[in-house]
Amino acid sequence: MIRTENLTRKFGKVVAVENLTLDVRKGEVFGFIGPNGAGKTTTVRMLCCLIAPTEGTAFIGDNEINRDPDSLNIRQMVGLLPESPGLYERLSPYRNLDFFAQLYGVPRNKREERIKDLLQMLNMWKKRDEPVGTFSKGMKQKIAIARALVHDPEILFLDEPTSGLDPRAAKTVRDFLSDLRREGRTIFLNTHNLAEAERLCDRVALVNTKLVAVGSPMELKRRYWKRTTQVQLKAISPSILSAVEALPFAKNVRTQDSKLLVDVGNPEEDNSMLAQTILAAGGKIQFISEMERTLEDVYLKLIGGGS
Amino acid sequence: MRLNKAWIVARKDMAEFKTNKYILFTIVFMPMIMGVLIPLGYFLPIQLFATEDSGPPREITLTPVTVYTNDELTNGTYYNANFTNMMVSNSIIESSYIFDSTIISTVVNNSISRNVTFYNCVVTKSNLYNPALLEDTVVANSVIIRDEDPEVVLITLQMLSFILFFYMMIPAVTPTFIASYSFVGEKNNRSLEPLLATPTTDLELFVGKTLAIFIVTMVATWVAYIVSAAIVNILAFPLLGYYPLPNGLWVVGFIMLAPIFCILSIAANILISSKVTDVRASQQIGGLVVLPVLLFVFLTFAGPAFSSVWMMIIYSIIFLVADVWLIYFSTKIFNREEILTKWK
Ligand SMILES: Nc1ncnc2c1ncn2[C@@H]1O[C@H](COP(=O)(O)OP(=O)(O)OP(=O)(O)O)[C@@H](O)[C@H]1O
Ligand SMILES: [Mg+2]
Repeated sequence: MIRTENLTRKFGKVVAVENLTLDVRKGEVFGFIGPNGAGKTTTVRMLCCLIAPTEGTAFIGDNEINRDPDSLNIRQMVGLLPESPGLYERLSPYRNLDFFAQLYGVPRNKREERIKDLLQMLNMWKKRDEPVGTFSKGMKQKIAIARALVHDPEILFLDEPTSGLDPRAAKTVRDFLSDLRREGRTIFLNTHNLAEAERLCDRVALVNTKLVAVGSPMELKRRYWKRTTQVQLKAISPSILSAVEALPFAKNVRTQDSKLLVDVGNPEEDNSMLAQTILAAGGKIQFISEMERTLEDVYLKLIGGGS
Repeated sequence: MRLNKAWIVARKDMAEFKTNKYILFTIVFMPMIMGVLIPLGYFLPIQLFATEDSGPPREITLTPVTVYTNDELTNGTYYNANFTNMMVSNSIIESSYIFDSTIISTVVNNSISRNVTFYNCVVTKSNLYNPALLEDTVVANSVIIRDEDPEVVLITLQMLSFILFFYMMIPAVTPTFIASYSFVGEKNNRSLEPLLATPTTDLELFVGKTLAIFIVTMVATWVAYIVSAAIVNILAFPLLGYYPLPNGLWVVGFIMLAPIFCILSIAANILISSKVTDVRASQQIGGLVVLPVLLFVFLTFAGPAFSSVWMMIIYSIIFLVADVWLIYFSTKIFNREEILTKWK
C-alpha cells in the first residue's frame, strides 16, 4: 500500500531521511519509531506529498508521490494527523470538520452523517458547536483525528497521536485507533511510545535517519534475543545450578536473586526437562515463565541512548 | 484551478473573520467612520462659509411703475417701484424690483432683489438673488438664490478629488490587518499543514485565502463609498446646484484603483507574513511598507492623477503591473514545500 524506494530528504547539509526503503501492507498498522530528529515527520510529509524527496521515490497505492496529478489522488486517499492539531480555534468542531469534508469533496448529503458519526465515536458530539479554542489538548487531538478521517481515507498517517496527552486521554485515543484497525484501514503511526506501538502495531520500523530494523514486534524481539526461560525458585543452591548447567540445551545460565534465567533453544521440549532437572536437584519451583522482552529493549539495544 | 475549492477556503476564512473582533472593527467601523467623517469634515466648512438657504424662486409678477435711481429715500411706502442703486430706510416696499441697493430698517414684501444689502429689515414673500448681506434681517417665506460662486465651485470640485485619496487608503490598509491574522495566524496555529494535506492545488488555496480578504475589503470600501457619496451629494448640492457624485474620477477610483490597491496590499502582506511570526509585527511591517509607498506615490502623482479620469486610468494601469509582479512573487512563496520548510 505504501512503498518507498531509497527515499532521501536533505535540508541543506542536514540529512533528515536517508535511503529509506519500506513496504507497508494494506490494512496493517505500521509503527514508525525513532528518536527525536530521526526523520519521522519528514517521512510522513513526503508520503503525504507536502514536501518533495531529495532522492528516491515512493508509491501510495499505484500513485507515485509528487507526480501531478497523482499528488491530488494521493492526498485524497490519505488522512493526516500532523504533530500539532492545528484546528481553527475560533470555529466549532462541526465547522472545522465540515470545512475539511468540503475540501475533500465529501458529498453534501454524506457530510453531516459522517461528522456526526466521528464526533459521537469520540464523545465530542455534545460539544460540536463550541469554539475549539476553549477545548483541552486531549479534546483538540480528538477533533484533529476526526478531521483526518472525515473523508474516510484508505490510509491514515498519525504523527505522534498520543504525545502530550494525559493517560486517560491517551487511552481514549489508543482505543479509538484499535477500532480503526479493526475497520481494516492502513495506519502509519509515528510514535515514541513503545508500549503503544507494541500494543497497536502489526509491524514496526525503527529508524534513525536510516532504517535500522523492520518487522513485527515479536519478530524483532526474537531476532535479537534467544528465548529465555525464567524459573522462580524458593532458593537457589549450587547443586541446582550445576545440574542445570550440565544440560546440553541450556545456554547462558544466570541468576537474578532467587530467579534462574536460562536461554533455551526449543522451549516446548526443553522446559519440561529443565523443570525435571531442577526438581531432581531438590529445587522448589514457584513459577516458570518466559522472560518478557519488550520493544523498548529492542529500541534501546538498536538505537541505544541516542548514539 | 477549481474555483469551487477556492471558494470553500474563502468561505471558511470569512467565517473566521466574523469571529475576530479586530477584523470586524476594521471592516465595519473604519469605513463607516471614514465614510461619514471625511465628507462632513471637508464639506461642512465650505458649505457653512458659502451659503444659506436656497430653493426654487417664487412666482412673482411685478409691474413696476415708478423708477428710483441713485438716490436716498426715507419714511415712505412704495408700491410697484423699480429701485436701482438706492439707499432706502424706515420704509415699506411692496411688489417692487430692487437692484444694487442698500435697504435699512424697512419691510420688504412680494419683491425681487438682486445684489442688495439688508440691515435690520423684514423680508417676506420675496426672491433674493445674491443678497450681498443680510444683517439683523428676518427673511420669512422667501427664497434666497445665489449665483454659483466660482471660487466655491472650484474648491468643492478640488475637494471631491482630494478626499478620494482617503478612500483609496481603505483598500490599501485594511488587508494589512486581515492578511496578518489570516496568514500569520494560520501559520502560528499550525493549521496550514492539515490544509496543505487536502487534495487542493497551491493556487486554489492561494486564491481562496486571497479572495476572502479581497471580498471583505472591497465590501468595506464600497460601503464607505456609498455612505460618503450620499453625504457628499447632500452637502455639495447647495454649493453646486447639482449632485456631483458619482463622477468619472470616483467611479474609476472605486471600480479600478481600489481593487488594484487591495490586491497589491494583499500580495505585499503575504510576502511579509511568510517572514514574520507575530501578528502585530506583521501588521506593523505591513503598515510601514504599504503606507509610505502609497503616500509617496500620492504625493508625487496625486495632483495629476486625481485631476482627470485618463490620468487615473493610466495610474491604475501602472499599479496593475505592480500587482501582477507582486502576485507572481507571492504565489512563488505560497507553495507547500516553501510553507513547511522555509516559512519562519
Ligand atoms: N524545515 C526544516 N529545515 C531544516 N531542517 C529540518 C527541517 N525540518 C526538519 N529538519 C531536520 O530534519 C531532521 C528530521 O526532522 P523530523 O522533524 O522529521 O524528525 P522527527 O523524527 O519527526 O522528530 P520528532 O520526534 O522530534 O518529531 C531534524 O534534524 C531536523 O532538524
Ligand atoms: Mg516529528
